[in-house]
Amino acid sequence: MSGHDSKYFSTTKKGEIPELKEELNSQYKDKRKDAVKKVIAAMTVGKDVSSLFTDVVNCMQTENLELKKLVYLYLINYAKSQPDLAILAVNTFVKDSQDPNPLIRALAVRTMGCIRVDKITEYLCDPLQRCLKDDDPYVRKTAAICVAKLYDINAELVEDRGFLEALKDLISDNNPMVVANAVAALAEIQDSSARPIFEITSHTLTKLLTALNECTEWGQVFILDSLSRYKATDARDAENIVERVTPRLQHANCAVVLSAVKIILLQMELITSTDVVRNLCKKMAPPLVTLLSAEPEIQYVALRNINLIVQKRPTILAHEIKVFFCKYNDPIYVKMEKLEIMIKLASDRNIDQVLLEFKEYATEVDVDFVRKAVRAIGRCAIKLERAAERCISVLLELIKIKVNYVVQEAIIVIKDIFRRYPNTYESIIATLCESLDTLDEPEAKASMIWIIGEYAERIDNADELLESFLDTFPEEPALVQLQLLTATVKLFLKKPTEGPQQMIQAVLNNATVETDNPDLRDRAYIYWRLLSTDPEVAAKDVVLAEKPVISDDSNQLDSSLLDELLANISTLSSVYHKPPEAFVSCVKAAPRADDEEFADAGETGYSESPSQGVDGASPSSSTGTSSNVPVKQPAAAAPAVAAPIPDLLGDLMGLDNALVPVDEPTASSGPPLPVVLPSTTGQGLQISAQLVRRDGQIYYDISFENGTQGVLDGFMIQFNKNTFGLAAGGPLQVPPLQPGSSARTLLAMVFSQNVSPGAPNSLLQVAVKNNQQPVWYFSDKGSLHVFFGEDGKMERTSFLEAWKSLPDDNEYSKEYPNSVISSIDATVEHLAASNVFFIAKRKNANMDVLYLSAKIPRGIPFLIELTAAVGVPGAKCAVKTPNREFVPLFFEAMESLIN
Amino acid sequence: MISQFFVLSQRGDHIVFRDYRGEVPKGSAEIFFRKVKFWNEDEAEEAPPVFNIDGVNYVHVKVAGLFFVVTTMVNISPSLLLELLQRIARVTKDYLGVLNEDSLRKNFILVYELLDEVIDFGYPQTTSTEALKSYIFNEPIMVDAGRLPPLGPAAMFMQGTKRMPGTAVTKSVVANEPGGKKREEIFVDIIEKISVTFSSSGYILTSEIDGTIQMKSYLSGNPEIRLALNEDLGIGKNSSSTHDYRSSSGGGSVVLDDCNFHESVQLDSFDIDRTLHLIPPDGEFPVMNYRMTQEFKPPFRVTALIEEAGPSRAEVLLKIRADFPANVTANTITVQMPVPSYTMRASFELEAGAVGQTTDFKEGTRRLEWNLKKIVGGSEHTLRAKLTFSQESHGNLTKEAGPVNMNFTIPMYNASKLQVRYLQIAKKSKTYNPYRWVRYVTQANSYVARL
Repeated sequence: MSGHDSKYFSTTKKGEIPELKEELNSQYKDKRKDAVKKVIAAMTVGKDVSSLFTDVVNCMQTENLELKKLVYLYLINYAKSQPDLAILAVNTFVKDSQDPNPLIRALAVRTMGCIRVDKITEYLCDPLQRCLKDDDPYVRKTAAICVAKLYDINAELVEDRGFLEALKDLISDNNPMVVANAVAALAEIQDSSARPIFEITSHTLTKLLTALNECTEWGQVFILDSLSRYKATDARDAENIVERVTPRLQHANCAVVLSAVKIILLQMELITSTDVVRNLCKKMAPPLVTLLSAEPEIQYVALRNINLIVQKRPTILAHEIKVFFCKYNDPIYVKMEKLEIMIKLASDRNIDQVLLEFKEYATEVDVDFVRKAVRAIGRCAIKLERAAERCISVLLELIKIKVNYVVQEAIIVIKDIFRRYPNTYESIIATLCESLDTLDEPEAKASMIWIIGEYAERIDNADELLESFLDTFPEEPALVQLQLLTATVKLFLKKPTEGPQQMIQAVLNNATVETDNPDLRDRAYIYWRLLSTDPEVAAKDVVLAEKPVISDDSNQLDSSLLDELLANISTLSSVYHKPPEAFVSCVKAAPRADDEEFADAGETGYSESPSQGVDGASPSSSTGTSSNVPVKQPAAAAPAVAAPIPDLLGDLMGLDNALVPVDEPTASSGPPLPVVLPSTTGQGLQISAQLVRRDGQIYYDISFENGTQGVLDGFMIQFNKNTFGLAAGGPLQVPPLQPGSSARTLLAMVFSQNVSPGAPNSLLQVAVKNNQQPVWYFSDKGSLHVFFGEDGKMERTSFLEAWKSLPDDNEYSKEYPNSVISSIDATVEHLAASNVFFIAKRKNANMDVLYLSAKIPRGIPFLIELTAAVGVPGAKCAVKTPNREFVPLFFEAMESLIN
Repeated sequence: MISQFFVLSQRGDHIVFRDYRGEVPKGSAEIFFRKVKFWNEDEAEEAPPVFNIDGVNYVHVKVAGLFFVVTTMVNISPSLLLELLQRIARVTKDYLGVLNEDSLRKNFILVYELLDEVIDFGYPQTTSTEALKSYIFNEPIMVDAGRLPPLGPAAMFMQGTKRMPGTAVTKSVVANEPGGKKREEIFVDIIEKISVTFSSSGYILTSEIDGTIQMKSYLSGNPEIRLALNEDLGIGKNSSSTHDYRSSSGGGSVVLDDCNFHESVQLDSFDIDRTLHLIPPDGEFPVMNYRMTQEFKPPFRVTALIEEAGPSRAEVLLKIRADFPANVTANTITVQMPVPSYTMRASFELEAGAVGQTTDFKEGTRRLEWNLKKIVGGSEHTLRAKLTFSQESHGNLTKEAGPVNMNFTIPMYNASKLQVRYLQIAKKSKTYNPYRWVRYVTQANSYVARL
């Protein structure tokens, strides 16, 4: 052969296709071969050369293997687009499958399996049958894989022709390559079938363990992975397997090592002898550490796996912390993972070394890494009580360098340390206050403000410090505003002097009148009421209550999820730290130890898992400042309201239209409504209510029960601004209520312009008054499904178009582990009754996938994919919508609908 | 299983693309490339090797400036995929002699032929160059290796020193030499990458050696080979030899923490006489990987000082001492030191009579860089630098500067003292005497001195 293959890429003036055609039909072998090469070259750069199909197939009958392979390559590519012409090749295939040369036999079977044309499939069966029993192991191992190919095209055919049995026979083959491929094929077939096909008995186990020692590294991985399906009968059986697998730990291929580790960890669960377990742990440590000498990509995979292993068995690597110290030239994704493992392995024994490292990392260049290192110091402080002081002194040293982001990160973790060890390290507050004016990140600011409020009595100028933030109150992010509010209240309660009093006035005014944030406003009102009722007792008890001590979260995975992930060691699942169902679309449920639900692990669904891997794997120890806020239970505070404070309530609703007087009574009946105002709160009056949808109209179904001693009349109702701008469409019609009597009415609702800004919520704030009692306020939480309109049905095509046109970022999914769908039809009907319309259905393995649509006011559509297996707990709902802020509400509504 | 395999250039061009199962939607290569290129838009963060977009899992490695990528739809072992990608790169290199965009493009038919044998329906079959030889019919087309960036650890033998047969490592294992007969030769390279962290006071905080015995055989007829290592080689930190190791630390036996072997290696007599028996397959492969944390003498001592010299000025003193024998020479040495971010200028002062040394202040990354062409064993070199700051320092210079990082290659030197005592090739005839090359080299992995 002469020249370079790349010359085939060059084009000629004459028009490529006719010229190629001519050359393909040349009488000279070499010219034909060259022409086929040119065709393949054109194919790989994406040119359509399918019109040459017949001419290329004509070159197939040749003894020249090189040329034959090229033609086959072409066939695989184009057979699907030319199914009728592909038949032309069948004869040659069948002939080739009986060629004396085993390479040609294998090539024919391998290629035929790749041509996914039904007509060809039939012809494939006989050659395949022969090749499965071929004398040459190369042909047999190719045939074994071909069975999996055929199963993918036509599963029935494979079962009818007895190929599964033939495949099982191959497990006993004397060639380890054949065994490995048979195992791989059976495992794949098992994965796509609900029936037990590939079960490992003690007999096959012996065979697999024997083949393990002899086959290629890849075959070893196939066999080890299929062994993980085997459930050992007892401790002896398990020990036996482990003994045979342990030598694999010495393999140079990291995949073999990790798969062997998986088997050992699985079997260890059954082994009762602590000596054996200890010994195994000892044996696994050096190979696991050696994985960190491989390429950085493999290190990353190894580290993600080690992260899981040390959570379950910390002793394995307890003495190896040094190997996780970051190297200067590690890629950032490796460094991040090492840091995580260092925290997990940190102990009283090695903490000094670890802190020295963290301190060093905290002065490196990469900002994300530095931040993580600073947080790591804080997490160690929280985890190791005896080392907390040393950790804090390191943090203080870092603060003194005055690198802005280091200081902010340090303040965030110090806040957590204060929560973990109350009244221990407050002496450092003065140092923290020095950096006050450099803070510009919300989380750091909020943390610092929390510290000032919490320790106001020990900070002489706490009022000045807080005041410096107040000027910018309206511009601050919600996180900071909330903390400022709480801290000011704390300050006032601790130092009820003139300064703080003025501050609190300003803050409460800001937080109630000039904000659109309902969280902030609600909290401000609660404080306001607490303060105006009983500042000494109630307010102090609530606001200054002792807070629960937080704990270390560095073992953050829930134990059932951890067990599932450990069963998936050395798979993608163990790298993403997500169960396989969360990212594999057509997975058959892996054998799971139990049916426990696993938190929200699958929540992010198809989103980019690895970014989770890098950033999201370790929710930082600060659990979001808002959850640290002492006043979390408005319910506890609410009953304290004894007497109404008129001037306060004057503009609670912030609406100028007056309360609507009550006219005529209307009766209504139906199932009991949820209580929104208990009689204990309503001084004898109990109100139950719920939003409902009837015939395309939203009503407020409300009922009053008079438990007082006198008649109640003159009922009026008012709704606060809310997400959908829902307001009363007419006056509330309730008759005068005699003591002990009740009335129920349907209040038609309309959509007004009074839409509350901010994140959508389904909260409905309601005020009700009558002539005898003070005004009652209550919140009702509606479900989004009452807003689903009758116009929500979409055509199949427009659904598809809409689905495609929405970017994937707009797709969200959620698991409902407890929901059981007992009948598809009933569910579809039930959903349709709530205006969630059925569009299409498909079957995926044993799962049913339903496509549905719904629409809420302002024309916001929801495109829904609901996946569940009938009768089995667990449903998954994926949704696409242009307005992502409604997604949480949607999922809530969906949950109530499918339960 | 593997759905697709592809190789992309740094610009995202398809060089090789093979779909094994037709289950991944179109455009996966583009999706992958976009994701990797813009992993973290504002920061130059590297994408992790494994990620998932829209249910497609992408696994990649970078070899010779190219992306080797596989996609899969199922939950399989990513380490298998990563190992496989490295192995495909190695096999391709064995066949093509050099691995780069040009050689792949020139040999695309051979590459596709290889890929068909290496992977069937997404299942890795064989990646042994030896085994593949019987199924591969295309001949490689050689490209000019002259200016091309070489691949793999053995590549380091090509730089600087004339003792090494430079072109041998870029020779295809299958191509016929122009002269007709192939030269009978075998290379055994003991490659050690060392990581050392010195504390500010010069103590060794951590030290580690990652070693590989790499073999590349061009012997015809696959004769058996015996490779004998140190007789007193110990394996396992907690092995029975702990006692000996303590008593003899510094001078005596070599104790490895852990090691693993290529599948062709027979370990029957390894425990008795520390000899490896193998019939080397064609192509380049690691005979043995090992890891050692036993104390060893670091080849270089690095001292770094930074001191204030008046307001908004500082002085840096860098000193390196070569702690190895005078008959050994290290080459391509780079010393880097990050300086405070508000450093504006740096002026350097080399020692008197310095040859082959250059200095630079990298403004973008705020680093001092000191390059030395070579360092002879036993010698000592110093560099002084004066820094000018744009502001007064916080009085915390040692925290804001450093750590010092060093890169070097020392041929014919190995820090671990692991030796190949002899390399014996089973004789086919009396006149059969192939060339044997046993080469040692030590390279810096993460060689760091803190301030």
